[in-house]
Amino acid sequence: MSGAVEVGGAFLREQLRSPLNVALLFAIPVFFVLIFAGVLGEFAAALGGDLAEQAATSISAGWAAAFLCGALGFFQLHSSREADRRLAGAGLGAWRVAGARMGSALALGAVASLIAYLTLLLRSGIEHPPHAAVAILFFTAIYIGIGALCGALVRGSLEGSLLVVLVFSLDVFSGPAMTSGGGLADVTPTRDAANLLIAAGSGKGSPAGEWFGAAAVGVGALVVALLAFWTVARSRR
Amino acid sequence: MPKRTDLAAATGTDVVLRMKGVRKSFRRGLPPRRREIRVLKGADLEIRRAELVGLVGENGSGKSTLMQIVVGMLSRDAGEVSLRGRIGYCPQTPMVWEKLTVAEHFALFARAYGLEPTDARQAEGTLLDELQFERYRDVRVEELSGGTRQKLNLALALMHRPDLLLLDEPYAGFDWETYMRFWEMSERLRLEGMGILIVSHLLAERERLDRIYNLFDGRTEVKE
Repeated sequence: MSGAVEVGGAFLREQLRSPLNVALLFAIPVFFVLIFAGVLGEFAAALGGDLAEQAATSISAGWAAAFLCGALGFFQLHSSREADRRLAGAGLGAWRVAGARMGSALALGAVASLIAYLTLLLRSGIEHPPHAAVAILFFTAIYIGIGALCGALVRGSLEGSLLVVLVFSLDVFSGPAMTSGGGLADVTPTRDAANLLIAAGSGKGSPAGEWFGAAAVGVGALVVALLAFWTVARSRR
Repeated sequence: MPKRTDLAAATGTDVVLRMKGVRKSFRRGLPPRRREIRVLKGADLEIRRAELVGLVGENGSGKSTLMQIVVGMLSRDAGEVSLRGRIGYCPQTPMVWEKLTVAEHFALFARAYGLEPTDARQAEGTLLDELQFERYRDVRVEELSGGTRQKLNLALALMHRPDLLLLDEPYAGFDWETYMRFWEMSERLRLEGMGILIVSHLLAERERLDRIYNLFDGRTEVKE
């Protein structure tokens, strides 16, 4: 366990030593909440949805965390897959390397979530702050899973990052209140988390089913991420 | 696929690596242009303790594939691979983290090899000194030259004193002085009992080797 913590710390330092990564960690949530939210409302109207301004602002914080964590999940896995595998083969083992990658991704995801949450809080105020915080964390978990899965399936950095963006775009523009419903809207991975965040922004409670649904998808995504990290690091013997 | 076996238990000999009839194919492209490339068609190899062995072959002949099968980075389609003791692996392209320092790499691999802190410090100091890159200890890999990256790549394979050392084009980027020091170090390690396999498309130091395998058309043959 202590091995995974030590290695996870090194992986985290590796990510934070890129000045652009750190700058984007702050810039993207601010951009999404302050600018993207307004555009999102206009898109929703064009697509037949009824996303109100307050709801659009709330959900944009979730999308900010999702966008960052999708990219982080993908590049956590993609950028160092050969070195990770070498370390696992040297004796650390694939599960410890996967655990370390997971820890690093979760730490960065938590920072992304916190910045998105604080930006949202400062921008508009939230009726149910704890609900919003948890909902943003669900977005984070779900997109760490999506990013890592894309990284495990696709070797090319351009192809893989485009795949993450494609999933993200479909998710955003098919999500709750964005369309008149049906089709993709019923199966998007963040549907329940988005409903929770919209409700939290406007001070409404959410049914237990949505909490359980979002939690199940979030935990499932983290399991997928762990398996993706393990798959890449494992021995082929 | 047959399982790896521990040679110590299986044979009781000095053999540290034995490969027999190893086959490997890669499938490339999508249908209808999908094709199978048969890289290894039954490769055999044997290395004993205190042997310095070369593996040569043309570009694309499968030398690195063979080595990656030994270390478990690639699966094999058929054949047997038997190993004894600890392995050290120096890949052709340095497999390192760009944003971490040389010292952080030593720390990570010391943890992976299960070295005690005092042994890890001693190994790190010895290798930094022997390969002469001590002044780069706190420098990130992204700031190192190609030759210094290769020194780190080699040092990481050596720090736990493996029984079998696998070196894939280990001296690419070395200057002449480092190149000669590398061979002196390899000979010393052989005398200490390490089995060493050096893969290269060009081996100029043939007289230093106990045996050379040539990989041609997916099969190995001992080169006279």
